Amino acid sequence: MQFDRRSSLWHMIAAPIAWSLHFCVVYGWTASVCARGWDAGTARLGIAIATGLAIAFIAAIGWHAWKQWDYLDDFDYEHDGPSVEDRREFLGHAGWLLALVSLIGVLFNASPALFISSCV
Amino acid sequence: MTLPVRAIAALVSLALLGGCDGVQSVLSPGGRDAQVIATLFWWMLGGAVILWLLMNGLLVYVTRIDQRAMSQRTAEALIIGGGIVFPTVVLAGLLAFALSEMPRQRDPGTGLTVRVTGESWWWRVEYLKDGATAAVVSANEIRLPAHQRSEITLNAHRVIHSFWIPALGGKTDMIPGRETRMSLEPTRAGEFRGQCTEFCGESHALMAFGAVVMEPEAFDAWLAKEAEPAAPPEGEAARRGQAIFNAEGCGACHAIRGTAATGRVGPDLTHLGGRVSLAAGILPMTEDALIRWIRDPEAVKPGARMPAYDHLGDGDLAALAAYLEGLT
Amino acid sequence: MTDIAESMDPGVAAAIDDETRPRGIYPPTEEMLNEPVDPDLQKAQEARLRAVWAEPPGWRYWSAVNNSEVGAWYSLTAFAFMLCAGVLALLMRVQLAVPENDFLPADTFNQFFTMHGSAMMFLFAVPMFEAISILLLPAFLGARDMPFPRLSAYGYWAFLIGGIFVLSSILFGVAPNSGWFMYPPLATEAEGPGSDIWLLGLSFIEVASIAAAVELIVGVVKCRPPGMRINLMPLYAWYVLVVGGMILFAFPPLIAGDFLFEMQRSFDWPFFDPERGGDPMLWQHLFWIFGHPEVYIIFLPSIAIAAMVIPTAARRPIVGYNWIVLSAVGTGFLSFGLWVHHMFTTGLPSLSLGFFSAASEAVVIPTGIQLFAFVATLIVGRVRMIQPMLWIAGAVAIFTAGGLTGIMVALAPFDWQVHDTYFIVAHLHYTLFGGMIFPIIGGVYYFYPFFAKKKMSDRLGRISFWLTFTGFNICFLPMHLTGLKGMPRRVFTYPGDIGWDWLNLISTVGAFVTAAGILVFAWDLLRPKRDQDLTERNPWGGGTLEWAHDVPDPGWGVRGVPYITSRYPLWDQPNFLERLDTGRFYIPDAPEGLRETVVTSAVDAVPQHVARITGPAWCTIWAAVFTGGAFIFPTFHMYPPAIICGILAVAAVIYWLWTSTALVPEAPMKDAGLGLTLPTYVSGPRAPGWWGVFITMLGDSTAFASLVFGVFFYWTARPDFPPEGAVHASPLWTALAAALLFGSWAATRAARGINRGGNPRTAQILLIAAPLLAIAGGTALVLAVWVPGLAPSSHVYPAMMWALVVWTCAHVAAGVVMQGYCLAGTIFGKLTPRYDADLWNTTLFWHFLVVSCLITAAMIGILPRML
Repeated sequence: MQFDRRSSLWHMIAAPIAWSLHFCVVYGWTASVCARGWDAGTARLGIAIATGLAIAFIAAIGWHAWKQWDYLDDFDYEHDGPSVEDRREFLGHAGWLLALVSLIGVLFNASPALFISSCV
Repeated sequence: MTLPVRAIAALVSLALLGGCDGVQSVLSPGGRDAQVIATLFWWMLGGAVILWLLMNGLLVYVTRIDQRAMSQRTAEALIIGGGIVFPTVVLAGLLAFALSEMPRQRDPGTGLTVRVTGESWWWRVEYLKDGATAAVVSANEIRLPAHQRSEITLNAHRVIHSFWIPALGGKTDMIPGRETRMSLEPTRAGEFRGQCTEFCGESHALMAFGAVVMEPEAFDAWLAKEAEPAAPPEGEAARRGQAIFNAEGCGACHAIRGTAATGRVGPDLTHLGGRVSLAAGILPMTEDALIRWIRDPEAVKPGARMPAYDHLGDGDLAALAAYLEGLT
Repeated sequence: MTDIAESMDPGVAAAIDDETRPRGIYPPTEEMLNEPVDPDLQKAQEARLRAVWAEPPGWRYWSAVNNSEVGAWYSLTAFAFMLCAGVLALLMRVQLAVPENDFLPADTFNQFFTMHGSAMMFLFAVPMFEAISILLLPAFLGARDMPFPRLSAYGYWAFLIGGIFVLSSILFGVAPNSGWFMYPPLATEAEGPGSDIWLLGLSFIEVASIAAAVELIVGVVKCRPPGMRINLMPLYAWYVLVVGGMILFAFPPLIAGDFLFEMQRSFDWPFFDPERGGDPMLWQHLFWIFGHPEVYIIFLPSIAIAAMVIPTAARRPIVGYNWIVLSAVGTGFLSFGLWVHHMFTTGLPSLSLGFFSAASEAVVIPTGIQLFAFVATLIVGRVRMIQPMLWIAGAVAIFTAGGLTGIMVALAPFDWQVHDTYFIVAHLHYTLFGGMIFPIIGGVYYFYPFFAKKKMSDRLGRISFWLTFTGFNICFLPMHLTGLKGMPRRVFTYPGDIGWDWLNLISTVGAFVTAAGILVFAWDLLRPKRDQDLTERNPWGGGTLEWAHDVPDPGWGVRGVPYITSRYPLWDQPNFLERLDTGRFYIPDAPEGLRETVVTSAVDAVPQHVARITGPAWCTIWAAVFTGGAFIFPTFHMYPPAIICGILAVAAVIYWLWTSTALVPEAPMKDAGLGLTLPTYVSGPRAPGWWGVFITMLGDSTAFASLVFGVFFYWTARPDFPPEGAVHASPLWTALAAALLFGSWAATRAARGINRGGNPRTAQILLIAAPLLAIAGGTALVLAVWVPGLAPSSHVYPAMMWALVVWTCAHVAAGVVMQGYCLAGTIFGKLTPRYDADLWNTTLFWHFLVVSCLITAAMIGILPRML
């Protein structure tokens, strides 16, 4: 797998960007559906689809980051050395952790659709 | 750190001893929603105190009591356990409770709709029972029947206000150009107090109202009476008061149903004397307070729109007050 | 020995022409670093550096732009504004000490709380972060200065003028009185200049804040010392990066909101007037999209200070560096999903509230990780309870309490009860004192020996701490109960029979105790220390680069820009100080008599460029004064002087850029030391200036996106947008405008390529055509809404279309000025085929501009017909 140095900075924040997009889509969609007086079921369906996509994307990013971290080769999680490998594994590790937090964020953000079934 | 901890402990116990009661208290609920939130708060408070003590106890321990280095594994377990696992679980639980509670507190009302409009700085109130054709107009006081959920629709005239009766439930903003809604389910009869909670200008602090919860039969009787036009003034002073009311042009702004006064700018006064307070919850409903208000509203409520009637003599003011107080 | 080419990104290396390619050895070997430097040469180098970095003497001192001067002025000014806002708080507490008090009239009280909040947020919290960062960041990064020192100076003077203007309004009784959140319709209809002072004065300061954010981001990304890869950055730099990014995306929506608001105030365009299709809720959204990230913009840098103090106190590297980076970045993102929790009571659908409730809980996770990483470091280390650490511990105690109530209020149904009550006042002060005031004061104690070379008093520090800590809790702990007992915020008086009286009295007492603590601190900070001995160089035994600075301060920042291989070079790198002091690192000399610092690549900090940095100047002050005039005169509806000031401000900025930036160097390359030869002039993505433009335009695009959001907001929220039978923009003129502006962009882009290709004559012709096309395009855009007769004060729909046109045309005007600047550069030899940074930057600006022009054209020409 290729871990180019410039793109890996973007990889690191790809998962939180996915969280942001999921958040915007879910909020914008719900606001539109409820403002137009459509059925809240439509809103919940949209939320489910967006959440599925976001989880899949974050999982892919997380997997990529895990490979980049390559924890199992040396069990290093400090990455405080001056080598290229330290930097690459650091960005992978941070990206993996961000994917984890983003995943929790997406699940939290989808939870209202489980409990609330109307636009009230 | 012992001194401030003790000070805090002393303050907390003082606060608890001081009580959480009061006519405007979240912690002394008189409605279903307020009850749920008060209970939730006590649980959360308990949890928060424990967590706070653990976190800061640990901090004191490692910085003051035992400064020896501990293993890095313990520390990292703390980050993962305390930073990710524990909060995720606890927060998910809290969120689930709150999310399921939210629509419940917004259930539609059954039977009665109260339409409240925020004015500067008073409340226009209209009651509409299911099936009724015309609303009963009142002001500056909310009466609700106990044991049923009433619908409250909210509007605002010029600026944003917020409608809140802490003892009964949460608040909702009143926004010009929009109609917002909420519902309340009182569980016991009693007199409470509500207040505007969105900053609305100079006298925001002086925009409150009495909130009276009545048993359903008593409420129905009250509403029927409230719907009637004003009774004619009784007694010499009150009759003179009505004449002054008309001569001074008060009717241009205020309505007293059953008389020539039909103004819509200010609060409806048809049953003014029957309310628990005056000038939007800030003065008692007494003759002295009425005189004080009419003579110089600005002195009581800075920026109030009502002009001063300080050109009237004491006698005239007393007569006017007698007339208004008699409008029960 | 390795050639630098092997450290460079192959993609980047391929893009660089041979002439400006860095040459020589990198990374340096141990032998090179050990090579002795001739003592006489050392002395000569030091003398030259000292002369170059000397602060101007006498009254010319105020023309200084060096980060150590500007940073110190900036933080002292912010602290002074904080004291003013604190006095307002004390006066309010006096008024509220007893029920039905008449110490302050209602309107005065309303002005006070509006000003207290506004000043604490806009004049203290955010500027303080920028001030401290300007002061410290170059030292953390082993850089000589910030990348754009004159920009920091301009930002400072703008802040000073704007701050004094806004604050002094309180002395004349005309201060804004609608709350720091300025909700319309109350604030739009407020009489007197108060609202305008708020809008224009604070917009002015926001612009300065964004300028500082741009500079800080560029500083972190491009001005790290060679070898400091992104995994070795001090945590403070990570936080600066995150917070700078947040400012870029959080402030512009507010600026867009201010723009709409001021258009309504000045020209009666009804954006927030429901009777003409407007909606006051749009302001609430824009304000809180700014307002909630703002809270984290305040909190994160203060936590960053803690992240610098804690390893020193624990005498070991931080535990969980990765976790902290994760939490900083994660908090930065999540904080943008919280804004509606300030609007839980506005009657939005439960489902919508649920999302924000969920995100508000989710943000607790990264915040918690941050705190636990600190505790973990303290557990693993052997802690010395140094004075700054006391403040950090106090901060944790207070902040955790605020965080725990934050978890409560994030639950919408609970917030319905406590929103806008004293419970919230307590909560927010717990988070801000714990998350800002205490860490900052701790940071001042910690860093004072760094910037003043003296120590503050331990004894006074302890007195101040205990007074502030107890006073704070006495003041704010009871407020939780006051709020639960139903007392709303922002009330100037309250009745005595509800049970709020004794709680308020306790709070007032506590407020004065807190104030006493702050005063002791202020005294300790400001008392003359002339007789005191200088401190040692690294008094706390820290491991990061700022403690390598010499005592007494020689003014040059670092003796040489070091080569870094560790997160804590002072602890880990052998002979580090000796190598630094003898000038064995990069650019140890200033033979050309110019201020310089090393620019490195963004991820791996490979040296790229020796950047020439601007020195003392008056033009930045003039630019700030006239910009101030352009914002302040409209407050009093004095438009002609405002326009004159605007023109003079632009003139001052052009003078400043022309005389000091992107100057053709005396030689294209220079010896940077340690066997490395670096270019003295680069253009495009290797130049800090290009990054500055790029980052500024990201922020600017956010403001534009907020206007576009406004259109969609009205479309979802209002049934009459656009109204039945509305007049639409002319499709013909719109299409023409789009074509002309596109042409102007294409001409600019072509000019850059052709100029680079060695054909400056053709480039000149294109640079004459480009502004003409742009002017024609801008005119056509105005005609597109003018000709069909869209009347902006009749309804929000035409007003919104006009707003987009005005916004875009203002940017086109800026684009024309930049094109003209480049044209002049080609004529006067400042811009040549080889030295073309200005043209790169102008093209970059136009990339962003052409996108917003096309979006504007689509929004006014196509979209309304589809809705």
